[in-house]
Amino acid sequence: MRNFSSRNALGIVALAAALWIAPAAAQLNLVGYWNPLFHEDVDERIPGPSIGDYLGLPINAAARLRAESWDASLLSMPEHQCKPHPSTYGFRGVGVLRIWEDRDESTQQLITIHTHIAWQEQHREIWMDGRAHPPEYAPHTWQGFSTGHWEGDVLVVETTHLKAGWIRRNGLPLSDRATMTDRFHRYGDVLTHVSIVSDPVYLTEPLVKTNGFMLSPNGTMTPYPCEPVVEIVRAPGAVPHYLPGQNPFTADFAKTYGLPPEAARGGAATALPEFLESLR
Amino acid sequence: MTAVALRAVAALLVLTAAPFVATAQPPPGGPPPAPQTARQSAALDLTGQWVAIVNEDWRWRMVTPPKGDYASVPLNAEGRRVADTWEPAKDGACEAYGAAGLMRMPTRLRVSWDGDETLKVETDAGQQTRMLSFKPAAATAPHSLQGASRAEWVRPQAAPGGPGLVAAGGGGGRAGGYLKVTTTNLSPGWLRRNGVPYSENASLTEYFDRFKAPNGDEWLMVTAIVDDPIYLNTRFVTSSHFKREPAGGKWNPKPCGAQ
Repeated sequence: MRNFSSRNALGIVALAAALWIAPAAAQLNLVGYWNPLFHEDVDERIPGPSIGDYLGLPINAAARLRAESWDASLLSMPEHQCKPHPSTYGFRGVGVLRIWEDRDESTQQLITIHTHIAWQEQHREIWMDGRAHPPEYAPHTWQGFSTGHWEGDVLVVETTHLKAGWIRRNGLPLSDRATMTDRFHRYGDVLTHVSIVSDPVYLTEPLVKTNGFMLSPNGTMTPYPCEPVVEIVRAPGAVPHYLPGQNPFTADFAKTYGLPPEAARGGAATALPEFLESLR
Repeated sequence: MTAVALRAVAALLVLTAAPFVATAQPPPGGPPPAPQTARQSAALDLTGQWVAIVNEDWRWRMVTPPKGDYASVPLNAEGRRVADTWEPAKDGACEAYGAAGLMRMPTRLRVSWDGDETLKVETDAGQQTRMLSFKPAAATAPHSLQGASRAEWVRPQAAPGGPGLVAAGGGGGRAGGYLKVTTTNLSPGWLRRNGVPYSENASLTEYFDRFKAPNGDEWLMVTAIVDDPIYLNTRFVTSSHFKREPAGGKWNPKPCGAQ
């Protein structure tokens, strides 16, 4: 040990540290292209949900009121044409999901996991380096501020600082006080994404959703540029909407599918097996 | 070499050796370790009562959809032909409660151990019982509504005890892995209550997993993949989620059978 210098010791420390880091890198590889599977909620996710379809969602009366004032013509306004989905909804939308990592070149430690969904270029950064969330006054964005950690081989992500968005694209709102925990569970070439969305303004309890992706080994992603144009000339200040009680379409969904109107109006109880019996 | 550096080297060597020590074989000549039962080696605790939260596919799961409504199921032409032979008089038939459709039903589950090598899953909807066996099934097992299910624990590939293997905030969390169940020997059944078919050649692969929500709620998630060379063009993949309920919670058994 006489010739064993501090420099040698530091070398061993570095080597040991590298060995220690290695298992973490092996936990789960999410990198690649993932195609969304539309075997669930296809009505909502491909053609788009019907007006007045709130089945099974734990919304409160304020959310229902906001949704009933929503007019789909809103989406024809230049200000709304290029909006991406918020991260609370984007994983249920259409479009290929690409996941990649940023690692420190010297240590190979994971710094960031990126998720990018093709439609409207929903790009999200998930910080894996242990940093804290910004203060409350920091800007809110469509994707929010996300930090991640591993539970076993499951990636768990906490998201705050979201812009006011939606939980279903038929006007059901989500406030800018909403937060999300989402989880990535991989089973071979199938990825199950879990989102747990909490919103003290519009939800009575957390909204838990699960949906699947299939690994696409030769996947590609095309750009999705969006440039707003004037589709309909409107009077200055005009915004499509319905005043409370004046939306003529809210009852159509339940009638079309022969469903109880009470079910279509949503609420946490409508997701429980005994809900239909409670109507009898 | 300084004392500080020596202590750092020693500490790191202990840390890096820990996972290997934990999995080391017994010394030569010592008694072999007793084999653990499936129950003893459980990667996560699935036992208890769970209720389906139906906030996806509501109009196909909570009520019986109209004849011919098989949207989003990748049926081939023969599958569509068979689905179109269903009649409302068959509503409630036990074919809707076979293994490949059962977990999509609005139901409660009771999961318990039946001995040390079998997990039992009971449903109140349709009053079905699935036996998930950790022992290989006999190749000649008869075809039945719930088929023959082979269960295995799947654990993360990172070294046990390595960095990041953090328990999921409560007993029975995901850090230990998940349960994979492969079911074959099925009798023909329905993927949906309106007669969307799967055949006796279908196989079902399921992943049972658990997680805890920030508000403390415990969830069971079942990702299911149905392969059927007779009626499906591609795999049919769904994920269903169930919230944990206290023991003795609501349980409303109703047998299956056309009304």
